[in-house]
Amino acid sequence: MITNVVGKRIQRIGIQQKVTGKTKFAADLDIPGALTLRVYRSPVAHGIVRKIDTKKAEAIEGVVRIFTAKDIPGKNLYGIINRDQTVLADSKVRFIGDPIALIAAENEKSAEQALKALEIEIEELPAVFDPLEALKPDAPRIHEKGNLLFTRKIKRGDVEKGFSASDIILEETYETNMLEHAYIEPESGIAYREKEGRITILVTTQNPHADQAQLAAILGIGPENVRVIQTETGGGFGGKLDMSVQPFLALAAYYLDRPVRMTYSREESFQATAKRHPLKIRMKTGATREGKLMAVNAEIIADTGAYGSYGIAVATRAAVHATGPYEVPNVAIESKAVYTNNNWSGAMRGFGVPQIAVAHESQMDKLADSLGLDPISIRMANAFKVGSVTPTGQTLRASVGIRETLKKIRPYYEKFSREIQETQHPLPQGVKLGVGVASMWYGIGNTGHPNPSSAQVEIDETGKITLLTGAADIGQGSDTVLLQIAAEVLGVGTEEILLVRADTGLTTDAGATSASRQTYISGRAVYEAATKAKEALLKKAAEIFNAPSSLIVCDGGYFYPQYREYQKIPFGEVAKRAVQADGVIRGEGTFNPETSSLDPETGQGIPYTTYAFATQVSLVRVDSVTGQVSVIRAASAHDVGKAVNPSNVEGQIFSGVAMGIGMGLFEQFFPNKTKSFDTYLIPTALDVPEVTPIIVEDPEPTGPFGAKGVGEPALIPTAPAILNAIHQATGRWVNRLPADLETIRGLVPPEEK
Amino acid sequence: MNRIPITLLVNGEPYSLAVPPNKTLLEVLRDDLELMGTREGCGVGACGACTVLIDGVPARSCLTLAVDVQGLSITTIEGLAEGDELHPVQEAFVERHAIQCGYCSSGMILTAKALLDKKKRPTKDEIKRAISGNICRCTGYAKIEDAIATAAKKLATPSK
Ligand code: FES
Ligand code: FES
Repeated sequence: MITNVVGKRIQRIGIQQKVTGKTKFAADLDIPGALTLRVYRSPVAHGIVRKIDTKKAEAIEGVVRIFTAKDIPGKNLYGIINRDQTVLADSKVRFIGDPIALIAAENEKSAEQALKALEIEIEELPAVFDPLEALKPDAPRIHEKGNLLFTRKIKRGDVEKGFSASDIILEETYETNMLEHAYIEPESGIAYREKEGRITILVTTQNPHADQAQLAAILGIGPENVRVIQTETGGGFGGKLDMSVQPFLALAAYYLDRPVRMTYSREESFQATAKRHPLKIRMKTGATREGKLMAVNAEIIADTGAYGSYGIAVATRAAVHATGPYEVPNVAIESKAVYTNNNWSGAMRGFGVPQIAVAHESQMDKLADSLGLDPISIRMANAFKVGSVTPTGQTLRASVGIRETLKKIRPYYEKFSREIQETQHPLPQGVKLGVGVASMWYGIGNTGHPNPSSAQVEIDETGKITLLTGAADIGQGSDTVLLQIAAEVLGVGTEEILLVRADTGLTTDAGATSASRQTYISGRAVYEAATKAKEALLKKAAEIFNAPSSLIVCDGGYFYPQYREYQKIPFGEVAKRAVQADGVIRGEGTFNPETSSLDPETGQGIPYTTYAFATQVSLVRVDSVTGQVSVIRAASAHDVGKAVNPSNVEGQIFSGVAMGIGMGLFEQFFPNKTKSFDTYLIPTALDVPEVTPIIVEDPEPTGPFGAKGVGEPALIPTAPAILNAIHQATGRWVNRLPADLETIRGLVPPEEK
Repeated sequence: MNRIPITLLVNGEPYSLAVPPNKTLLEVLRDDLELMGTREGCGVGACGACTVLIDGVPARSCLTLAVDVQGLSITTIEGLAEGDELHPVQEAFVERHAIQCGYCSSGMILTAKALLDKKKRPTKDEIKRAISGNICRCTGYAKIEDAIATAAKKLATPSK
């Protein structure tokens, strides 16, 4: 397919404002007379609020009002999947940081004083911080329904038979780390009540329409009375899918006749927002002598902390992806999300898949190692192809690029291996080099749930084109990609289209910016909307040229009958005539990829229409004396269906590798201990090596121009590739993340250093 | 708290104001001078988002007291372009797709400018070292490093 705009390295929309500092994030918005909001948070991990006395705090000069649970007009219960989280504690607190009271004050200082003056008594209850402990019958009960939030089972074939038919069986346990998203922009927003009573909230978010619905329920008003406008968002990575400042802003704006604003400090951002679920995984894998996988049995426990958030989705995704991108005839997986009194875990780039990939990719290398196979061959021997059946019983029909990514990575694997052999100079004492490979698959969109998107393309009588989408661009670049898709369909440049995005007052629901779904799902909705608008114009052009509309070409900003380019009429002229005759053109586009719900007992069903695939190789240097691991080089091949904007795709790959290095080597959040970037280290430029991004395009027939997604896939193979490289370097396996200094120092016995 | 009168020279413009002695430069830039391009990412000197140049040297405005920079020349992101004409570092950030969310970008660009002011042809390693105090969670740094190298070339070739 020849394209003019799609596939091009178009500059990101808004980049001029970003380089000049003119971009307005929520904290930069000017809102005269705004009150400041602060939250009193629980100092204990588990307890019952016995008394809240606000009198002294209210008497402080500058304090305007203090809100508690009893002020919530609607339902004091929210959550993106299961509603179990209170805006302000009505009786129980479940983690250190649970909100209890909200202060509105004239300024920061008064709010601060009021926080100290609040008299709150909490009766402490026994707390539980380990999900296995939490599952015991006598464990403290965190929620009424018990500590088990959810179980996902997947059963296919007969694992016992599969293990009997195996020549080799490996059973291992893995543990992954609790992580913070650490977007550089802290949560922030402003809110005010309009004259007619509507509450308007401008906020950094990944999910404006879901915010709107949840806020309306909290306030007990119709969603039409709440308007959420996404402000320019400084990163999200899943952490801005849950609400943060939104309920506080909405509640205060509902009661007060003043605008309000709230920005989390970094410390509060660490304390009060979701984390990546730490997983405990037991995985048993059986294979034949030739390395053919016969059976996978796994038990997964995800610590969802105090609240559900995306816990159900994470447990489900970890289960669905547990085999890796390989054919396995016999599968039995059980995955649980369990409440504890830790910080709540939610969505973070990959929803459990980066964690489970550590297990399945370590298993693959362990098998390869035991069977004397190279890591690429064993993956190739098992990798999905068109026609393969997944553990949920889905037959993959198209766009299965895993084998191509393995092929593309092989030369890098060989090059990195040669580099190790050719390292002439002796390495310092205890230093070793290793190469590691890891692959992944990732289902695009919500798992086994409908996840529709919608968009509109409007053309007015001047020929002005407007694209309306509810999709929140959080820095990843969906604005640019969606404009490219619309521009390609309409045969114009992206600069000729005006974008209206992520404002519940103006745009329709596009679903969340999560699950790597915006390019694929919203992209297709935009494609449909633009196509419908174009059809209306083609009809008019057909009339003008007196030719069938199937023979009209729309390209380069002109319409003309095929082979008669010399007769071309500008886009705007055709638009004008069409609008004069029939009114403003409005192309309505929707897309909802085919999925089916997973059977509760067997997990059989169609979780996603399409999957992204990837393989990564890294060359690492392990210093077993200091414990330092550094990634020296990496190459990562990603099947994205079609790269709508190759620069964006590469940007995601670089970004994913960097984040994966943090996950693999040093990031770890400790509840109630980690409070700043001084103790939560995230990769700097010095930690990130040269990365070769490789784009594989195996088109997805239902995607816009064949596109799928890459945001999360970019991260997923990184940590397991590093672990496999550490093994090659040292002969030791690391089954627990992060592979930090202590882990590595303890790995190699002193006599071998 | 008593306020101390100071004059700040920001992007070549003198500003006279009275500030509490504990007010940070970041607060003064954002709240008093309404220069919102300087971002706050952590407020404790750990992320680099608030970087400005003080007499050409990158500094964390969240850790700098306004009273301490009285009379010194301060450059913020707003002071880099000349009218509509971007500084070569900004131009290179655009051309090399070095920005995703953009929250780190003001600090990153100023840090890069300071590097290139003192080193015409920095090596890859020097670039990495220079920006290692500026955290970016989005880009993985590759395109930022590429942009800085590109800017060095631009600055070396006299513009027409
Ligand atoms: S805000 Fe100053 S270093 Fe983070
Ligand atoms: S571009 Fe988002 S933090 Fe750097």
